[in-house]
Amino acid sequence: MSKFDWQKSGVSRRALLKGAAGLGAAGALGLPFARQARAEETTWTLANSMRSLANPYHAAFAKGGEEFAKSIGAKYEQLVTEGNSQKGMSDIRALLQRTGGKLILNVDPNDSPDARVIVEEVQKAGGYVVTQWNKPDDLHPWDHNPSYVAHMSFDGVPAAKTIAEALFKSFGGEGGIVAIGGILSNVPAIERKLGLDQAIEASGGKVKLLDFQPADWNEQKAFEIMQAWITRFGDEIKGVFAANDGMGVGALEALRQNGLAGKVQVVGLDGIEAAVAAVEAGEFAGTVAWDPMWTGGMGLAIPYAVATGKIDIAKEPKEHREFYGTAIIVTKDTVAGYRANPGKVDFNDLWGKATGQIQYRS
Amino acid sequence: MLPALEMKGISKSFPGVKALDSVSFSAATGEVVGLIGENGAGKSTLLKILNGVYKPDAGSIAIDGRNVEIRSARDAFNKGIAMVFQEQSVISSLTIAENIFLGREEEFLRFGLISKARMNEAAAQELEKVRLKIHPGTLAADLSFSDRQMVEIAKALSLDTRIKRDVTILLDEPTSVLEKKEVAMLFDIVRELKQRASIVFISHRLDEVLEICDRIYVMRDGRVVHESPAANADVHTLHQQMVGRQLQHEYYREEKQAQPSATIALKVDKLSKAGIFQDVSFDLHQGEVLGIAGVIGSGREALARCLAGYEKVDGGTLHMGGKAVRLATAHDAVGRGIGFVPSERKVEGLITPFTVAENMTLACLSKFTSGGIISGAKESAIAKDWIAKLGIKTPSTKTMVVSLSGGNQQKVVLAKWRIAGVKILILDHPTRGIDVGAKEDVYSLVREMTAQGLAVILLGDTLDEVIGLSSRILVMKDGVVNASFNAPAGGKPAQLEIIQHMM
Amino acid sequence: MALAVRTSKAGFAKWRAWAPLAVLAGLCILVSLFNSNFLTVSNSLRLLNTAAIPLVLSMGATFIILMGSIDLSVEGVIAVTAVTVSLLVANDLTGYDYGLWAVPVAIIAGGLLGLLNGVLHVRLKTPSFMTTLGVGFAGVGIATAMLGGQTVRISDQTFRALSLGRVGGVPMAIWIALSAVIVAYIIQERTRIGRWVYAIGTDETTARQAGIPIERTRILIFSLAGLFYGLGGVLSAAQFGQGHALISQGRLFTTVTAVVVGGTSLSGGVGSVLNSVVGVLIVVVLANGMVLMGVEPYIQQGVQGLLIIVAVALSLDRSRLDVVK
Repeated sequence: MSKFDWQKSGVSRRALLKGAAGLGAAGALGLPFARQARAEETTWTLANSMRSLANPYHAAFAKGGEEFAKSIGAKYEQLVTEGNSQKGMSDIRALLQRTGGKLILNVDPNDSPDARVIVEEVQKAGGYVVTQWNKPDDLHPWDHNPSYVAHMSFDGVPAAKTIAEALFKSFGGEGGIVAIGGILSNVPAIERKLGLDQAIEASGGKVKLLDFQPADWNEQKAFEIMQAWITRFGDEIKGVFAANDGMGVGALEALRQNGLAGKVQVVGLDGIEAAVAAVEAGEFAGTVAWDPMWTGGMGLAIPYAVATGKIDIAKEPKEHREFYGTAIIVTKDTVAGYRANPGKVDFNDLWGKATGQIQYRS
Repeated sequence: MLPALEMKGISKSFPGVKALDSVSFSAATGEVVGLIGENGAGKSTLLKILNGVYKPDAGSIAIDGRNVEIRSARDAFNKGIAMVFQEQSVISSLTIAENIFLGREEEFLRFGLISKARMNEAAAQELEKVRLKIHPGTLAADLSFSDRQMVEIAKALSLDTRIKRDVTILLDEPTSVLEKKEVAMLFDIVRELKQRASIVFISHRLDEVLEICDRIYVMRDGRVVHESPAANADVHTLHQQMVGRQLQHEYYREEKQAQPSATIALKVDKLSKAGIFQDVSFDLHQGEVLGIAGVIGSGREALARCLAGYEKVDGGTLHMGGKAVRLATAHDAVGRGIGFVPSERKVEGLITPFTVAENMTLACLSKFTSGGIISGAKESAIAKDWIAKLGIKTPSTKTMVVSLSGGNQQKVVLAKWRIAGVKILILDHPTRGIDVGAKEDVYSLVREMTAQGLAVILLGDTLDEVIGLSSRILVMKDGVVNASFNAPAGGKPAQLEIIQHMM
Repeated sequence: MALAVRTSKAGFAKWRAWAPLAVLAGLCILVSLFNSNFLTVSNSLRLLNTAAIPLVLSMGATFIILMGSIDLSVEGVIAVTAVTVSLLVANDLTGYDYGLWAVPVAIIAGGLLGLLNGVLHVRLKTPSFMTTLGVGFAGVGIATAMLGGQTVRISDQTFRALSLGRVGGVPMAIWIALSAVIVAYIIQERTRIGRWVYAIGTDETTARQAGIPIERTRILIFSLAGLFYGLGGVLSAAQFGQGHALISQGRLFTTVTAVVVGGTSLSGGVGSVLNSVVGVLIVVVLANGMVLMGVEPYIQQGVQGLLIIVAVALSLDRSRLDVVK
């Protein structure tokens, strides 16, 4: 497993394009999208590049970058690809030129192949880059010292397995569940299904998967499928597994319409606010937060440490170059703590939340 | 007494054509005025001015002696002029009542909502006038053609109950889709109506005009050439007045008229299209210009479109080079070497957002393509060649065809078919809306093409043109070929002879 | 049943007009053979509840399509109105708490976007698919900008009752959708503008000759559609208890599919809001039914695609095309 995909937050490409197209309108409304820190205490320019600000994950990702930049008083820019690889790369080129190569870039590439081009361009210009989620399997940071500092991702399989087990626990570990998947061909959809399957297997036949339907990361579709399941399976359904929180919320609302919210527990992944609140309300058995504030900030903090000579990246071990972040499991028991300290990131603790080297399962 | 409607010195020009030239016309309450003339004589333009579609360039319109300006169809209606269109304008998705009162629903509104019951009731009254015993709530799509025509007439008559003074009702070819019995009924209605209205009746059927009208205007080339009480007129003199003009032999390049070869390019046998034309048979020879004369509704337009593969026939056979062929689509026709120059140049003849060169090579792009790529050089070379040959006035081969004048556009269409190497060319009103100079160029081109053995089927813009250009003429009336004339150079038939078979 | 309104009684046209209802009936029978729970009261209510928002949206879209135009701004308008209403009722982002007063505000916002659609389409003489596509993009953009990419959660339970509440055992959303259908039907059958929509869609030249204000009618109809989408946005927010820019994802496709499957012709003039009711029910029953019958997911997508192709092919009135020429 290496290629994480952008649909992780349940955002279709078309919708992203739309959101991005609207950014023009946002600019016209004078909304603060191209924020820049005023203080200039460093000559390095920091930038986060992502697909769109229209989904919560990337909005938090951008915010994490901004907070780190503020903490060191650096200039900070946000680049939005609008789901278009060409635009993403040409924006990066333009910024490299403008900064004369004094650029620290934290990029969630639009598409895996883009990562190679971006890494090569940054290396040529003398900047530093960290990639998120998407890159080709044979592109490694240690082959591009020192410019390609690191690649960060999250492992969907154990996260999905853990959260599925939290679901099973909610109904006493025995009974039927239904599961809603993402777009069939998506890597995160496949990983999360794999995690679920492992959890079911581990239950030793006590948990039965009544039906699995993909809802294409779409909460409305999840709502409709859940409605049909309530008719088809009635009270055989003891729990609902959703491959992301958006669909989980859709399923929850279908349960609510039928007076089942809270009685039949739901789990999802991504840690969106509605899901966390549902955990608090006792309607979600749990969710998984990917900590986008951390990836958004740390993807700049690590290369900044390299650029300023605090660490020699070439000497760091591989588990510091290609690593998984810590997924935060939010359940009834942990939600209070998560609320109290949701995304406070210690920018000096560079690898504190890294959980091992990325595995390539193919 | 003042005439209800009076037009004085009305002129109207379109690019290249003077459609109306100082026309004066009047209609008084209590009379039915006939308006006749060949296609293109200016009747439709006159009606469209009365209906607010066109504005006259000069002249005045008076209603009850007061000068008025007619700004729209609605405006005309409010001023007491209602029109029954030649093209049917009943909306199929609405009911009869909804059609009759379309755009005038105010009187049935209560709190912003239409009272269907009241509207149907009012419509029933109008339907009674045309003696149509159908529920006004019936969808127009479910009516026969003649019933739709009656609804149209009822719509115009609804003016009568709604306007407090005398009204004028324009009937443009109202009988073309009606059976004999229905025509008789219509005439009864008209006679009844004329007590309180002036009625203008336009028709190609002269016997009907003579029967119903009190006074008759004859139009030709945009002018009123004759006006007389109907009692003093007969079919023969009306024909004479409609044609009048002497044939100008030189204008049509008669000296270059080719002798048709014996080889048959297209053999048409008993071709039929239900309700449009029946059992049309003829042989089209190489080097021949076969003119088809006929009024609107004679079926000649549909026949031309069928031969070009634009419409489908219901029966009959076609042979080319001794082999039976089917022309189900325009693609079939082009493949067999049949080119079509449609009357709607901008809709069907040209791709307006394309350049001159692109339009010219459209019908045979494969000649300019190698490995799927169009050779721009080859394309522009051949385009230049034809621009010179036909004297097309265009700044370059890359000029957008839409910016050319009508005459030059038409030449581009003709060049397209010449480049494609067609063997038969169907010309549907090839000189409509183009200026005199360009017309002569088109005539020269026709001669040149037939000299090279092309066969041409011509639906002329005027009868004059058909006679001047053709070597043989078929006359169609009500969907059948009514007569056939040879028209060799120096031995052209008279217009009068032909028009007798047309009307 | 009332579907016969605006339906020709002759030949093939008649058969075609009744086809959607027959398809719906056939589907219901088929699904209930597989699953006896299908025709129970509780599942019927679930189906209608699922159909509520598509019904409201399709009412607006039907008028546009009857007029021979198309409106691709559905998702953008919903996004703006759902976010607007979410921010105005008690929520976790703003301090506002206008309760149900937020509802008309959001619906009017939808109407204004529709007005923009109409004005751009008519004044710039641009095809409606272009202008509405642009307004739709801008709408999602505005919604994104209003929230900065976040999701706003609604805490106003009175507002949420628009979706969750029940009257006489039937969810509010169904009552609201039913009211929308009645309003649309009255507009279609009893107002001048409803009449003119058919006239314009069937034959614009004749409509103009009859003195119908074509431009004003078009603008009004786009505004009207915007109001319906606005209501759809409000219901979406109430249904999910939140507002975000992507809340309307997939709505455009369902809406247009439902209208066309119901038998309203894309070429204009033929159809009815009642046809769209049947169309929405077909789409919803099909989706529900396939899950009930346990049809493989990828086959489900194929079936839905096939449904659209067949519906569009059937809706093209070839005989009419010939008569017009």
